Amino acid sequence: MYQSIKALSANRLKTLLIYLSLTFSISAIFLITSISNGVISMYSSILKSDGDIIVTQAKISDTFFSNVDIGLMGKINGIDNVKKVSAIIVGATPIEHLPIVAVYGVSENRFENYHLIMGEYPKNNEVLIGKSLLESMKNKEFITIANKKFKVSGTFESDIGFENGGIVLNIEDAGAMFNKSASMLMINTAIETDINKIIDEVKLLSDDIDVKSTTSFVENYNQFKIIKISANVISAIAFCMGLLGVISIMSLTVHQRQSEFGIKRALGIPMRKIVLQIIQESAVLGLFSFISAFFVSNIVLYFIKNSTLLQGYVNGELTLTLTLYIFITTMLMVTAGAVIPALNASKTDPVILIQGSKI
Amino acid sequence: MINIKNVSHLYGKDSALKDVSLSIKKGEFIALNGESGSGKSTLLSILSTLLKPTSGELFFDGMNYNDIKDIDLFRQKNIGFIFQFHYLINYLTVKENIKIANEKAKDSEIYEILSLLNIYDIVNKFPNEISGGQRQRVAIARALINKPKVIFADEPTGNLDSKNSQNVFDIFRGLALGGTTIVVATHDKYLALQSDKIYEVKDGRIL
Repeated sequence: MYQSIKALSANRLKTLLIYLSLTFSISAIFLITSISNGVISMYSSILKSDGDIIVTQAKISDTFFSNVDIGLMGKINGIDNVKKVSAIIVGATPIEHLPIVAVYGVSENRFENYHLIMGEYPKNNEVLIGKSLLESMKNKEFITIANKKFKVSGTFESDIGFENGGIVLNIEDAGAMFNKSASMLMINTAIETDINKIIDEVKLLSDDIDVKSTTSFVENYNQFKIIKISANVISAIAFCMGLLGVISIMSLTVHQRQSEFGIKRALGIPMRKIVLQIIQESAVLGLFSFISAFFVSNIVLYFIKNSTLLQGYVNGELTLTLTLYIFITTMLMVTAGAVIPALNASKTDPVILIQGSKI
Repeated sequence: MINIKNVSHLYGKDSALKDVSLSIKKGEFIALNGESGSGKSTLLSILSTLLKPTSGELFFDGMNYNDIKDIDLFRQKNIGFIFQFHYLINYLTVKENIKIANEKAKDSEIYEILSLLNIYDIVNKFPNEISGGQRQRVAIARALINKPKVIFADEPTGNLDSKNSQNVFDIFRGLALGGTTIVVATHDKYLALQSDKIYEVKDGRIL
């Protein structure tokens, strides 16, 4: 280890290049994975916050386009072990200078999910404004949505950062605005209830609905799959870029140190020891790059989370599992990247030293 | 100690050594003398097990080269190398450079060899902090740390002035008297004359 650190500090420029290349790659993996996880986590939290079962329109690709008859709420309430049924319309609209703001039209029994920090819950023709949105609005008393003027009844704060950038209004107003009854119905069941039994009973109420447990819905939600696949593809590209960076610059370093490996081979140092030395040097760099990337990512995520420009829609989630996963990925990247240069170094022919001149 | 029988070596289609046979005894100080391109470096590479000959046989202490299972370990235990350029690793101190050849070498052993070579005071210096003559002595110390049976030196004085060149040959003479076999490839006839035996190499043959 001591010799590896000395070798790295002796080749400062190349060491710096590998370090930067790795730090950028690992930071990219950290950020893209944590942001996509954050987005999924926030939206999942909205869905899970008040429901064990979700009812959407059948055969639609996105809840955004879902239209469910709100009249089913009463029938569902009549099923045994159903504690609460709420409805929500999810939409989006431009407000003032902001190009897109989430709109949540909710049934009255869902208002309690939004913690009031000022004013009161909205009546007809009124809206409740998220804390983050309020900060970026010029007119804090009235807003215009789809050419209709709404009075701001109050401000809310949600544990889900995503919601703080949106507006809440009663479902009737939202229904008129988006021309639908409800996007989803959320069913809360009694503790230790057989959810599948209730799902089957709800399904019998209409042929136009799709009924799933919240867990199953989140796991199979197409948009989450797309986000996850996109994040994985971008992470894989970042991984490959880091890998190629290590291979190319390590190869240059190894070529520059040809005489070092040649003399070691002549002195009978086994090939495996040379391979191990190069991999160890790469691993040391990987470790430092990982630590740097971890701090860089946390700083970037902090600014993203607190940026008024992003209205709380983007929020990274850096868990211990994710950090561990990226650490393993980093070590895999630096080890795999060092293998080819290390093998080349170990195969240095010591006969090149018997040329009578400096290599 | 070392025997080669009818050894030839080709680089592609070019013949570098042609049917060479040679015998070197323990404690002998041998000089391989010849012009550049004569084949002496190829002969040295084959004698020192760095290069496998295209044909012919090499015996080291009675053991056939082809029967050696771990050539790295064999070289580490039996052979020391000194090259024209010192090939010291710049980021390591003199002591650390010597330890490369033998990680388990004790400090007392390193100090003993450095004292013998009269460079005891530079043990913690880096190669770029010492003179050319001192660097070559460190390279000799690195070759000696494993107490090899044979030391192969390829133009070891090529980068040294006449005073330092003579010092190196004096060290070789002392080592040979102590029982270490020395094989030196040199084009310097004056220095070659100080060895026990000179083999003239020309056009891939020993004259």
